[in-house]
Amino acid sequence: MKNQLLHIFRNTPFGRETFLQSIYFCKMTGLHLKVFIPRHLQFLMYFSREVVTVDLDKSFLRSPETAKQHAEDLIRETGVDASFLEPKRFTASTLPDIPVDFGFMTCPRTISDLSSKVGLGYIGPRVRAIIKNAAFPVLIPTAVYKEWKHIVVLFGGSANALNAFRLGVKLQLLSGLPLNLFTYAENKPKSYYEKILEEHDLFSGIQSGGVEWQFVEKGHFREGLYEVSHDALVIAGAYGHGLIKEILFGNMMEEIQTILPNNLVIVGPHYSED
Amino acid sequence: MDFSFSFLVRKVLFRLDERLQLIIVAALVGLGGGYASVVLNLGLQHGGHYLMPLRSHWYATFFPAIGAALSIFFLHSIVRDIGGHGVPEVIYSISRRGGLLRFRSSFSRLVSCLLTIASGGSAGPEAPVVISGASIGSNIANFFYLKDRQRTVIVGCGAAAAIAAIFNAPATGIAFALEAILGEWTPINVVPIAIASIVGTEVSRGLQGNQIPFQHHSFYISNVNLLACLGLAILTAVSSVVFMRLLRLVSAKSGRVIRSFWLRAAIGGLFVGVIGLVLPDALGEGYEYVRSIIEDRYASGILLAGISILAKILATSLTIGSGGSGGIFAPCLVIGSFTGLFYQRALMAAFPQVVWGGEGYFGLLGMAGVMSSVLQAPMTGIFLIIEITGGYDVLVSVVLVSVLSATLSHFFEPHSIYHAELIERGELLRPRTDARVLSELSVGELLEKDCHVVHPEMLLREFARIVETSHRNYFPVEDERDGRFLGMIHLDDIRPYLFDQGLYDSVLVEEIMNRQVVSVSPEDELPDILRKFDETRSWSLPVVQNGRFLGLISKATLLDHYRKELMAQEAE
Repeated sequence: MKNQLLHIFRNTPFGRETFLQSIYFCKMTGLHLKVFIPRHLQFLMYFSREVVTVDLDKSFLRSPETAKQHAEDLIRETGVDASFLEPKRFTASTLPDIPVDFGFMTCPRTISDLSSKVGLGYIGPRVRAIIKNAAFPVLIPTAVYKEWKHIVVLFGGSANALNAFRLGVKLQLLSGLPLNLFTYAENKPKSYYEKILEEHDLFSGIQSGGVEWQFVEKGHFREGLYEVSHDALVIAGAYGHGLIKEILFGNMMEEIQTILPNNLVIVGPHYSED
Repeated sequence: MDFSFSFLVRKVLFRLDERLQLIIVAALVGLGGGYASVVLNLGLQHGGHYLMPLRSHWYATFFPAIGAALSIFFLHSIVRDIGGHGVPEVIYSISRRGGLLRFRSSFSRLVSCLLTIASGGSAGPEAPVVISGASIGSNIANFFYLKDRQRTVIVGCGAAAAIAAIFNAPATGIAFALEAILGEWTPINVVPIAIASIVGTEVSRGLQGNQIPFQHHSFYISNVNLLACLGLAILTAVSSVVFMRLLRLVSAKSGRVIRSFWLRAAIGGLFVGVIGLVLPDALGEGYEYVRSIIEDRYASGILLAGISILAKILATSLTIGSGGSGGIFAPCLVIGSFTGLFYQRALMAAFPQVVWGGEGYFGLLGMAGVMSSVLQAPMTGIFLIIEITGGYDVLVSVVLVSVLSATLSHFFEPHSIYHAELIERGELLRPRTDARVLSELSVGELLEKDCHVVHPEMLLREFARIVETSHRNYFPVEDERDGRFLGMIHLDDIRPYLFDQGLYDSVLVEEIMNRQVVSVSPEDELPDILRKFDETRSWSLPVVQNGRFLGLISKATLLDHYRKELMAQEAE
């Protein structure tokens, strides 16, 4: 199911915006859209080392009689390849298990809390748990439907950032859109980052001109993010550090999600290309 | 480089032999399971201490309803967990999910069960403690990055420690974990489970003292009493079957009649309160009544004993069936002891000249019979009764009633109360069974992708050339424009044309292809795929997803992988 994007459908105007975002993502990448219309307020995702209980905000169960029709109408309008997911397994009769072998999953910034909390700087605990455990990247869409015209990978040299770059190259191939690499120097020379990319066979794309590299050496990281185009799909790695390192050095992903209003694709520590 | 405490602990642990690793982790889990049991036990004691004096008042009728509603409110609204006794969740996690359990399960049921039982709901504390211990085990196993197979053993350790601690019965904990939870007795399982069980028991003894819950005096057991065990086995089997069916009925019907979880539990609790008004024996875990029967102090006659059996069965079905949190161990012991008492009274009335064993003797055997039947785990029933009563002198009678009762009830209710729901959903996969071996394999790993895809507009000549170079008998046909899967061609389909070269430039693939092909999806279960192989008598089936051909799955490859997986499991 690696060629599929999972979307948990919310039958509300806000849910429609995120659904349109998933549809657009599938349209651009050719992925199959798998739509899950929840019938219970919880579902489980069994990752390799942890079970994540996704407690849904009650708005996910709103107007169940029209939910499928609304989803089908939007799919039909855009013509993407889509189907509906029916859970096969249940941990208990009201607790379905959702497969975890998708290529991508769309999560709004929060799925457990009220949608009024959705805003920059807030990512709900369930979404964080999914990012932390999933082998697939998570698409965090904007609150209002917005198309993206190119792809920007935020690259800071970590293992997760390398995975983010690999994913960016893959999405560039699928969508045919231009790919930019954005690096904030952090007092290190450009050669340091070049070496990392070379070691992982990722430098050739930059050398051939297929990838444009934005290298920001001055100012604060937050200020540098203004250089990221408003209509870009931003790909970033997440949770590369342990708790203590995170407290000491901060977390780049938190900065990004607080500042950038773009559509984000977050590559977690368990991301696997296979 | 990570030098955190957890990293260093893991590093040391990974250098040890696998069995030693399991033993160390099992001891830790034993501590966790033991403490969970003690916390719940102390909570129940304190709850009982404050509420017991109020039970004589009229308003106590509402206590079980209030307790059940609070319990559900806590579970659904605060910790967002589900109701019920929870043991099927543990077995499901072992059967299907490599022992993965949610962290919240380690405490959620303890609190909800405390609210249910302390308020007078008819249930036992054992199942919530089992899921709590199992969840502690699962999360500790995750902390140490143990493999799935090891994690399932550690989950069993948590369950064993919890049962051992709550009953002060280490052998029962071992038997329960192996018989009811893991479903297999292997040397690699037994050692860590025994360690966890012992540690759990010692925690309980250290904090609560080494007490035998139902101490009894010695019994006079004549041959005629042994013969009477046959009749008691029939009676306990009947009680068990009635209990299991009523519990299932209430669970199924109450959910359909009342949608609201907390309202359903509250109404169930209200009925229990009304029953308790007439027959207080039916309320709570009911150990005080078991104790009085075992000690030959229960004064009521045959009629009241019979009514008490039915009242306890009904009260427990209403408590747990309406969504309340609690286990069925304690109710089984109460139902069993009343069944034994009823039988003893009946024997005394029918044959007054015979010297029968006391009511304690038959009460004890009744407990073993009901427990073994409901759990379909005679060893657990036998060990439990022997350990909680210290009654080694009744061993022969206990074994006789347990085994006969379990066999008889199996005829009417073939699955234990914990397994029935899972079997109905097809989710119980016991170790070393076909279904378990197949569940370890996925369509993805069996997929054969080296297929020659052909197109409908292709001429037979071109196709024949492909056949010449291919080692396969099946050829998928795809639409050249959009890549949609259209059908298949088997070598047999073109055999009549192959020897007539005149047709080579006039016959197209679309004229000879088979469009009515049975295909499978990557999401299909392997047992279903095997069934399709049998139905279609095919040796290969196309795997199609969203209209796209992904590859072929062949019976030979499936059976080859099955054999390898079976060998791997045997080696473990």
